[in-house]
Amino acid sequence: MSSLFLTAALALYLLTTITYGAHLISKRAQLRHVGLGLMAGAFAMHAGALAMRAGALGYESLFPFQEGLSLIACIVVGLFLAISVRTDFSVVGALVAPIAFLFSLSAFIFEAGPHGIPPELHSVWLPAHVAPAFVGYAIFTVAFCLSVTYLVQERQLKQRRKGDLFRRLPSLETLDNLNFRFVTWGFALFTIGLITGSLLAKETWGALWSWEPVQVWSLITWLLYAALVQARSVGWRGRRAALLTVFAFALLLLSFLGVNLVFPGKHGGGGS
Amino acid sequence: MRREIIALGVSHHSAPIEIREQLAILPAALDVSLRELVALPHIDEGVILSTCNRVEVTAASANGDAAVETLVGFLARAEHVDRDEILRHLTVFRGRDAIRHLFRVAASLDSMVVGEPQILGQMKEFYERAAASGSAGTILHRCFHKSFSVAKRVRTETGVASRAVSISSAAVELTEKIFDSLEDKTAMLIGAGAMSELAARHLLARGVRSLIVTNRTYDRAVDLAREFRGTPVPFAEIERYLPMADIIIGSTAADDYVLTVNMVEQLLQRRKNRSVFLIDMSVPRNFDPRINDLADVYLYDIDDLSGVAESNRDEREREAAKAEQIVVAEVEDFCRWLDGLDVVPTIVALREKAETIRRQEIAKTLASLRNLGEREQRAIEAMSTAIVNKLLHGPITQLKREASRDESLYLAAARGLFEIDGEDGE
Repeated sequence: MSSLFLTAALALYLLTTITYGAHLISKRAQLRHVGLGLMAGAFAMHAGALAMRAGALGYESLFPFQEGLSLIACIVVGLFLAISVRTDFSVVGALVAPIAFLFSLSAFIFEAGPHGIPPELHSVWLPAHVAPAFVGYAIFTVAFCLSVTYLVQERQLKQRRKGDLFRRLPSLETLDNLNFRFVTWGFALFTIGLITGSLLAKETWGALWSWEPVQVWSLITWLLYAALVQARSVGWRGRRAALLTVFAFALLLLSFLGVNLVFPGKHGGGGS
Repeated sequence: MRREIIALGVSHHSAPIEIREQLAILPAALDVSLRELVALPHIDEGVILSTCNRVEVTAASANGDAAVETLVGFLARAEHVDRDEILRHLTVFRGRDAIRHLFRVAASLDSMVVGEPQILGQMKEFYERAAASGSAGTILHRCFHKSFSVAKRVRTETGVASRAVSISSAAVELTEKIFDSLEDKTAMLIGAGAMSELAARHLLARGVRSLIVTNRTYDRAVDLAREFRGTPVPFAEIERYLPMADIIIGSTAADDYVLTVNMVEQLLQRRKNRSVFLIDMSVPRNFDPRINDLADVYLYDIDDLSGVAESNRDEREREAAKAEQIVVAEVEDFCRWLDGLDVVPTIVALREKAETIRRQEIAKTLASLRNLGEREQRAIEAMSTAIVNKLLHGPITQLKREASRDESLYLAAARGLFEIDGEDGE
């Protein structure tokens, strides 16, 4: 039943991607609402699938890497829907939808069993670590989409090109401000995740910090986002901030995928 | 009797402002005018539209030729109006053309600035006044409602609206692609050209919070600042004020650059790289074109802006062609309804509908009562015919008799009650 919902969500994400794509190249303003409606439908299906899985197998069953990506995708879509209520972020949606599709696909293809998380990790610190980390990742993902949109809009303005795409894009300032807010919140949650992660490590392995690959990569990513939050006060906004956000997200993705797939180490939820 | 829709009046296409203002009907006088209008002979229904760009009367009449005469007299009724002068500038649309005209006006295809949205709101207001005063009847109710839905279709299905087609409005459009809201923004005017003044006016209308004005001749800056309620600053101190401005418009007659790459780099530093929009309205250019290579600065010169305006204009023309097709299709649709509002076809359709129902029911009944004799069958048949005829006798006699004022009302009611137009008959 849960996988039926997930299949529906995947199909809807694909449909949303196509709709937003069509919206960007055609002149039909109504497609924006169709896209948003489809996205909301996909979100409901996706959340339903995750809730059912959590209900049947316990909430830890959402934490292994593959399921985690799917959970993050669902949060990303929720965040997108929240910011789309007042402003037309169709262009951002055209990025969010395929990302949500790909992330959820991982859960669909490699469905991890109920025992994805090693039993020694089961602790009160586990949700305290995973929840902020995942929400943080989701926020960074939306920030990435906002930044890519910013760069597209910026390029259009610089080149004095005025296509239909241009008309659909929100203003640079809107994108920049929202991006900064997202990065700040994401950073705060990521920091909490890092701290609770260390506490979890202390409880399970006896040491707060053991230079595990996941810890090193997370630290590097954390430093980059810390720089990004700081950068604005010294004037790194707009184009530079957008580029840095894209770069930081690439690093985040690399560390998340790399650490879980290439050097699983002791960090839970390895790619089994 | 067939009713005809007539649209007659003057617009910015046909008449200069001197004529339009003579004919204009003020809001306070509107109700009286509407009552006068429908009290005139041959005018069954009427709606008046009087805006700064057009003064038009739309009427429904059973005698079109006479109604046109009456309407001309109505428009030129005031003493100070020269009737011959009016006639030279008058446009008259009748029948299908009048409907098309009304739809085009509502969809803003006939506007001075095609696609501007105000006209629809004005039309709705004037129509509502007419509806409230009772001067609009069945035909014009439907016609105006239809024109509003046509306008909506045009707005959602084509890109006719929301295109900046002048240089200064293109500049404003771009501003809104850079800044979230203009309400906390400051614009700076360097020099005082006509084009830059226009752009400043547009920006202020869109809510720009404050305006700094500078000019080589300080007195001129003071004059301009007073006009726009801005702040005049001396030209020599320009660099102190540059970082405050989010939008900088240049239009001096200088033959070297007023803004250099170096100056912009400095102002960006002081602004912590908050975006700046530079609009160079002058020839030779005031701002070094290489400024555009800096990050977070967007520099548009007059050619860039006219390029934007031009492509918007082309776009709008293509979209307007699409809109015209929508209008044509909707006019057809409306005419079908209007043609149906004739006594003879209505009675024929009513009879046909009743006869079809009667036949179907008889066939059903007789099929289930196979052992009836021929005599009984004939009796049932005769009875059904009698019921249908008696039932229809009243409505049909009424329809035939009502060749007077409210004919269209009766017809529309009859067609609605008996569902002659099918489900979509509003």
